[in-house]
Amino acid sequence: MADTILQIRHLNKAFGNHEVLKDIDFTVEKGDVTSIIGASGSGKSTLLRCINLLETPTSGEVLYHGQNVLSPGFNAPAYRTHVGMVFQSFNLFNNMTVLENCMVGQLKVLKKSKEEAQAAAMNYLEKVGMAPYINAKPRQISGGQKQRVAIARALAMEPEVLLFDEPTSALDPEMVGEVLTVMQQLAKEGMTMLVVTHEMAFARDVSSRVVYMNQGVICEAGTPQQIFGDPQRQETKDFLSRFRNC
Amino acid sequence: MWTSIQEAIFQAVGTSVGSMSFGERILYLIAEYGPSYVKGAGNTLLIALIATAIGCIIGLGVGVIQTIPVSKQDHLAKRIVVRFIQALLRIYVEVFRGTPMMIQAVFLYYGAAQLFNIYMSTMFAAYFVVSINTGAYMAETVRGGILSVDPGQTEGAKAIGMTHVQTMLWVILPQTLRNILPQIGNNLIINIKDTCVLSVISVVELFFVHKGVAGALYTYFESAAITMTIYLIMTLICAKLLRWWEKKMDGADNYDLATTDTLAHTTGMYDYPGKGSPYDERSKELGQRRHKKGGR
Repeated sequence: MADTILQIRHLNKAFGNHEVLKDIDFTVEKGDVTSIIGASGSGKSTLLRCINLLETPTSGEVLYHGQNVLSPGFNAPAYRTHVGMVFQSFNLFNNMTVLENCMVGQLKVLKKSKEEAQAAAMNYLEKVGMAPYINAKPRQISGGQKQRVAIARALAMEPEVLLFDEPTSALDPEMVGEVLTVMQQLAKEGMTMLVVTHEMAFARDVSSRVVYMNQGVICEAGTPQQIFGDPQRQETKDFLSRFRNC
Repeated sequence: MWTSIQEAIFQAVGTSVGSMSFGERILYLIAEYGPSYVKGAGNTLLIALIATAIGCIIGLGVGVIQTIPVSKQDHLAKRIVVRFIQALLRIYVEVFRGTPMMIQAVFLYYGAAQLFNIYMSTMFAAYFVVSINTGAYMAETVRGGILSVDPGQTEGAKAIGMTHVQTMLWVILPQTLRNILPQIGNNLIINIKDTCVLSVISVVELFFVHKGVAGALYTYFESAAITMTIYLIMTLICAKLLRWWEKKMDGADNYDLATTDTLAHTTGMYDYPGKGSPYDERSKELGQRRHKKGGR
């Protein structure tokens, strides 16, 4: 039996009277690469942010290895070290170099020694092809490079699952490829990933599971073959028809 | 008429200043009172530097406390304590920002002596008054500086498991400090000039020296010229040093590659054999175009 990492049960989120997420249910198993697709404003990013507690869900449960992360007194910072996040806008620390970005979490949160942290940071920076730029500040590198560093920073915390919040949406078209290549590599190595994306080719070819969200509910979920090859719901068909050429 | 009064005084004092030209009088004042001016300028600079530094620390503390987020999920006791402290600090900021430093100096210096029997030395009173005054201004500056840092930075820090304190210490405050550095410089320059109001409690700073020298010989214009020049030199040097510090904090404009970049080749080169991304719509087009060319 696969090892369940995250279990989301009856999750609701409302901003004021506006319901963004309605009764969301799904699980993330170890080794899953789940792509969440859907139109803008369908609640994909909010779902991801609720899982990482950057937003507080209105009701429902998020279980991490069976433990409810929404229970009072839950240690959110400790939980977040196991659930990494990569943002659309990179959010690299502007006051640090590329290397320091990948080390600060290990040093201050995981309390690793400097040598250990540097070795781990270099290992992951090499993996994303950013080892040459360790001395650069975030403002000196391109968007694609920033996102690769952000992935290395998240990996350096050795999380169990990585959440990607539209990692390529803020990138120029010619930089999307380098980031997706890195993500594909991670997926191959068995990293558990939850990816909110508009890159249909990535969702189709790399993920093991695709979730289509529409207006705050999970409309359809299944293997990429099911969703892209034989969608059951009319909304899914309509949505995918716009990407038929991909 | 003024010249005749000056003349009379010079004669009474018994110096030959009366018969001197403007330039000669300046030289005479420098020769005679140079050490006094230097001592005054030294005290002015000392008060301004130390009080600005302490003021920044006060401001940093107050600014950080004022930006502590309080949400409804927190314990009621914590919410009340935080809100109460924030209200107290708000009063501190408004009172010391909203009243003249001159009056604050008189109020605190004489008030402490009269009410609490605390007899401060004038220099201590100077450090104290200028520090808390600067602190009140800096509190607002720091608050603004913290708010001006992109919220994404906080999210990035939280996402790797940092607590609120760690986020502030390692991510937000270093960036805040860089952002408010011009304002710190502004405060330092203002403090160099505004210490002159401390002459009201007899702090021996530059303006106090000027008053003494000018009054003794009625050389108001000459002494003011000297004093202004000294103030200007001090502020210009400080401004220059602060610019240099700002530049230093920004770090180098360029960086050295640690090793050669292998992945950079893929950027913008989709049909690079074996290295392009299969997930880009244009890559297929380019591939086809190349195929056609090859077929021709």
